[in-house]
Amino acid sequence: MNTILECKSLTKKFSGLTALDNVNLTLERGRIIGLLGPNGSGKTTLIKLINGLLVPNGGELLIGGKSPSPETKAVVSYLPEKTYLPEWMRVSDTISFFKDFYKDFDEQRAYDMLQRLQLDPSKRLKSLSKGTKEKVQLILVMSRQADLYCLDEPIGGVDPAARDYILNTIISNYNENATVLISTHLISDIEKVLDEVVFIKNGHVTLHESVDDIRSKEGKSIDSLFREVFKC
Amino acid sequence: MLGKLLKHELKATGRLLLPLFLILAVLTVMNRIVSYLDIFKGVLSVIPGLIIFAYTISIIAVFVVTSVLIIYRFYKNLMTDEGYLMFTLPAKTRELIDSKLIISFLWSLVSIAAVILSLIVVFSGYSYYPDMKHALAMLFRELASSLGNYATLFYVELIVMTLLSIINSTLMIYVSIAIGQLINGHKIIGSIGAYIGLSTVLQVLSVALMAIANLAFGNTFQDITSVPRIIFPFSLAFQLVTSIAFYLGTDFLFKRKLNLE
Repeated sequence: MNTILECKSLTKKFSGLTALDNVNLTLERGRIIGLLGPNGSGKTTLIKLINGLLVPNGGELLIGGKSPSPETKAVVSYLPEKTYLPEWMRVSDTISFFKDFYKDFDEQRAYDMLQRLQLDPSKRLKSLSKGTKEKVQLILVMSRQADLYCLDEPIGGVDPAARDYILNTIISNYNENATVLISTHLISDIEKVLDEVVFIKNGHVTLHESVDDIRSKEGKSIDSLFREVFKC
Repeated sequence: MLGKLLKHELKATGRLLLPLFLILAVLTVMNRIVSYLDIFKGVLSVIPGLIIFAYTISIIAVFVVTSVLIIYRFYKNLMTDEGYLMFTLPAKTRELIDSKLIISFLWSLVSIAAVILSLIVVFSGYSYYPDMKHALAMLFRELASSLGNYATLFYVELIVMTLLSIINSTLMIYVSIAIGQLINGHKIIGSIGAYIGLSTVLQVLSVALMAIANLAFGNTFQDITSVPRIIFPFSLAFQLVTSIAFYLGTDFLFKRKLNLE
């Protein structure tokens, strides 16, 4: 039971275009994994498949041994690259929403994090800037005790100071049974928190290795390896 | 999970509709009071006219806002960025559709009931109200006597058909949106197109079915009892079958072909 995510010959096509081609990938529990690749490489497609927003054309995807379903959604905490909270809600409304729907949601932790980032829970979402909305979303997502966190570009829109706080939150919040999958192209910022990296290119997984192995074998940082592999 | 979805759906829609019902209630009471007072002489006589005008607008607004909200809420909450939140909840796709449908149905009924109640309150203030009531009672009595034994059946069918037609038209909007979302970048146009296409197909289909029914039972259509005996059951069955098709179609498209951008 140490595998949290398993993809077997996973394939997804969009009207002629193959977004994911025969992907085989196994992720263990207790890791922080970077899903790295250029724009359009299939990162978001993979994350959407994990969350059941897309259905594969071929192959299989298992989360804790189960296909995407309401059951798996209860243990996957997903941060999309969209601002997906209803604009009319107050921040406190979104917290009660998450508390209602997710059994693993820790309300106290959410309020603590809001306070730490000096966000007012009585504010309406529509009055917040895009970056602030992203912080609220990340707080909601990280306040769950999920088995798998899928964070799609979690730090793109927020300032560097908040970025550090958020990365710290990610490291300190997850437990040994949980895996965090972070998709991003801001590699240098998150490199220090990653245990493993998955390189994805044109719908193919080209590399899946631990960060330590890469550093000792290649003698370079993930950032420079990425620049080399995906050189234009 | 359905219970929680219903609760949040009610909250999200009620915050817009309840104020509207409140306005209707206030204007109803004002209208009733104005019809009692006989003090508006000269320039002031414009006041009752204005209140009646505002009242009429508020009745129209109740129906328009309810229908628009039913469509907007489904589209906004499921097909735009909010869809990322809704479709990743630990709920079945069906439960998402059910919660929207049940609350839409509820608000449709509440709107109809609120307007009828309000009209009764307003018209009972006028001197000709007893005559109106009498005339309506006469109409129903005459209808009942010409329907004979079929009167009860007729009324039951009429009520069921009205309720079913509310559900049917809501589901037709849902399936049109589910079809329209397939078209990248043109989801709204796609939904409108799907709706027009569907209505056309259904229109042709129902005309064809009516023509066949006319051939089969033609001579009996002269009799008014053919309404509860043949016409209503047929149209009920037609609505039921199309409703199920719309529902399953929406569920299928959301499960297999969801296209959030």
